[in-house]
Amino acid sequence: MDFSFPAGVAGLREELRAWLAAHLTEDIVAAGQRGPGDPAAFEVIRSWSRTTAEAGWGAIAWPREYGGRGATLLEQLAYLEETVRARAPLPVNIIGLNNIAPAIMQYGTEQQKRSLLPRMMRADDIWCQGMSEPEAGSDLASLRTRAVPDGDWFTVTGQKTWTSLGHRADWCQLFARTDPDAPRRQGISCLIVDMTRPGIEARPLVTLTGEEHFAEVFFDDVRVPASALLGPLNGGWQVATTTLSHERAGAARLYAEIRVRLEDLVTGLATAALDGCPALDDPVTQYRLGGLEVRAAFLEVLCKRSVSAALHGGDASGAASLAKTVWAELGQDVAALAFDALGPHAADGRWADQRLAARALTIAGGTTQVNKNIIATRSLGLPRS
Amino acid sequence: MNLELTPEQLLLRDSVRRFLAGGAPARRAPLAAGEPDQTADAGWRGLAGIGVTGVLVAEKQGGAGLTMTEAGIAAEELGRALAFGTWLPTAVAVPRALARAGAADRAEPLLAAIADGTVIATIGLRDAAAPRVAAFESQAGTVVTGKVSEVPGAAAASVLLVLAADGDGTGLFAVDIPSPGVTVTPLPAIDQSRRRFRVLLDGAPASRLGTATAEAIQAVVDDVLAVTAADALGAAQAALDLAVEYAKTRTQFGRPVGAFQAVQHLCADMHETVELARGGVMHALWAADAADAAERHLAAIRVKAFAGQLAAVGEAAIQVLGGIGYTWEHDAHRYLRRLLSWSAFLGSPDGYLREIGSGLAQGARTQRSTAARGH
Repeated sequence: MDFSFPAGVAGLREELRAWLAAHLTEDIVAAGQRGPGDPAAFEVIRSWSRTTAEAGWGAIAWPREYGGRGATLLEQLAYLEETVRARAPLPVNIIGLNNIAPAIMQYGTEQQKRSLLPRMMRADDIWCQGMSEPEAGSDLASLRTRAVPDGDWFTVTGQKTWTSLGHRADWCQLFARTDPDAPRRQGISCLIVDMTRPGIEARPLVTLTGEEHFAEVFFDDVRVPASALLGPLNGGWQVATTTLSHERAGAARLYAEIRVRLEDLVTGLATAALDGCPALDDPVTQYRLGGLEVRAAFLEVLCKRSVSAALHGGDASGAASLAKTVWAELGQDVAALAFDALGPHAADGRWADQRLAARALTIAGGTTQVNKNIIATRSLGLPRS
Repeated sequence: MNLELTPEQLLLRDSVRRFLAGGAPARRAPLAAGEPDQTADAGWRGLAGIGVTGVLVAEKQGGAGLTMTEAGIAAEELGRALAFGTWLPTAVAVPRALARAGAADRAEPLLAAIADGTVIATIGLRDAAAPRVAAFESQAGTVVTGKVSEVPGAAAASVLLVLAADGDGTGLFAVDIPSPGVTVTPLPAIDQSRRRFRVLLDGAPASRLGTATAEAIQAVVDDVLAVTAADALGAAQAALDLAVEYAKTRTQFGRPVGAFQAVQHLCADMHETVELARGGVMHALWAADAADAAERHLAAIRVKAFAGQLAAVGEAAIQVLGGIGYTWEHDAHRYLRRLLSWSAFLGSPDGYLREIGSGLAQGARTQRSTAARGH
């Protein structure tokens, strides 16, 4: 049993910390906190991706041949801890870097790899992922968008929704049904679609916070070349699940992010007053903070257990669903305390926005309820309902 | 970073589990009041035989000389098996108190007897920060007088360690039970496997073993919290396992009740709580040996602060089990009792949650004043 970080990672950590101190300005941090749904912030975040890519910090987990550093799992962990702690913006192409790129590396042609990956890392191209549909949210296998093979082309028709940055994207990793007669999961293919092709319309979907982060994307008889196919025809489910399981170190982001939110909350409380007394002196607030701190620390161990299992061949099956569920609930509880204690005191409405935005945590990337079904059936072995 | 158990640790876990599953009813804690001296019991000697009573006793004193992680592994199995309430004070609190007070060499015979299973010993830590016992020199030698408000397993113990004010601050003393001037009174307890006693000392003969600094006392309390949390973790895991097994086999409305999402989500929530606690316990046990005092203390009070949520696992298990879980014969209430007893141990979780929150507040204030000075 050893919780200490091996010394071998310390070098990378220090190098990164120094680089962040020199390059990550307050403006960039502020843009990251507003998020890419804010048009002005979007451009700042996008150019931050270019800055990181040019310094070799764009996608350290990628192999060197694609511009990464071939970072080990522990190096990725240190990288995530440091960038989150410094409050650096999430890469604008985060889904691309973590989920689409590994699929391109595994299934793409040399031409696709060479032309797409460097531009993705620099955010020269913006990527989106066409998964959710109006009738296929949690139940991805029921997607209806069709791609009909037609000689050297596919003809794509259908609608995607909740597509992150779909209205800004240059490329879409699209999942569409290529064999309507096959069983649900077996008739889906993955296509790399140029978003400028005629017949594609992306409309921003305004969320409850008023942001334009997501889009609805409509495909109306869009002709896509057969060379856009990624992976085997009708093998899209396999491509999708490969991409989703490519982020073992991603768990680090969960605890590091909660730690930062908690720190920001404590800093906010230190400067605010409740009924004339410093908010931090309020015993009820301290009690609630204590509960959040304990769960954040335990979440950290849960995440590190999955990293340790990957490093040392242990068993951490189910840890990912569990960590995501805990992270989401904790994020909402942090936002609730922030709003209760600070909401009325913040002129910029920051805590109110976070309170509302936190509702997404238990929905996006798999709802908490679906996660609980997965935990019950896979981790506990209960019968499917 | 390596959070996996070693092959030796897995072997230890399996051998303790196998031994406790051996079926002798004496290996389980009695349900009814009255705790016999378990040194006379084959179960206790068996535990000693597989090295579990001496897990924290140094090898040169006849023990296994292992770390807190191994103590936690044993504790988790004991909790799962609803076993011996006296193991925690005898095998954990006493050896750690002796080690932390630098008294292990002087107490070598006691430690050797713990390792070979011939003595049950205990220490009360409820008043550890401000002991209500004083030591004096009398004509008959050193004596102690005062009250220890909460001592686990005192009826079964033959040696009681006492923290008492003496000329040099706080000393660590050994008192034999029974002795003239020692009165042991049972306290009401929700868990018969974890009985607690008030001990009145009135000029009881004592021998001084060492000096207990405030830091040492804090460290012993942290050690005991970490291992007791591991025991509770075992109980919670066992309660969850019972509930899940039942949900798989109990059929209502034509299907296993575990196929209903409402039941599934109850079980998933229990699993989440148990796994969170498991991480906290792993960290607290490691920190007890390897981290600095601040990290060790925070890790220990975190698991204690979580005790209320862990107890909810025992409650949810009874909900999943339904009527059968509400019966005296079923083990569910024993697990809940063990978890509630952990929740009440050394104060309710609420105070610990406050302590952690006020620590965060203190940290923020320090940071601000440092920043202000820097400008």
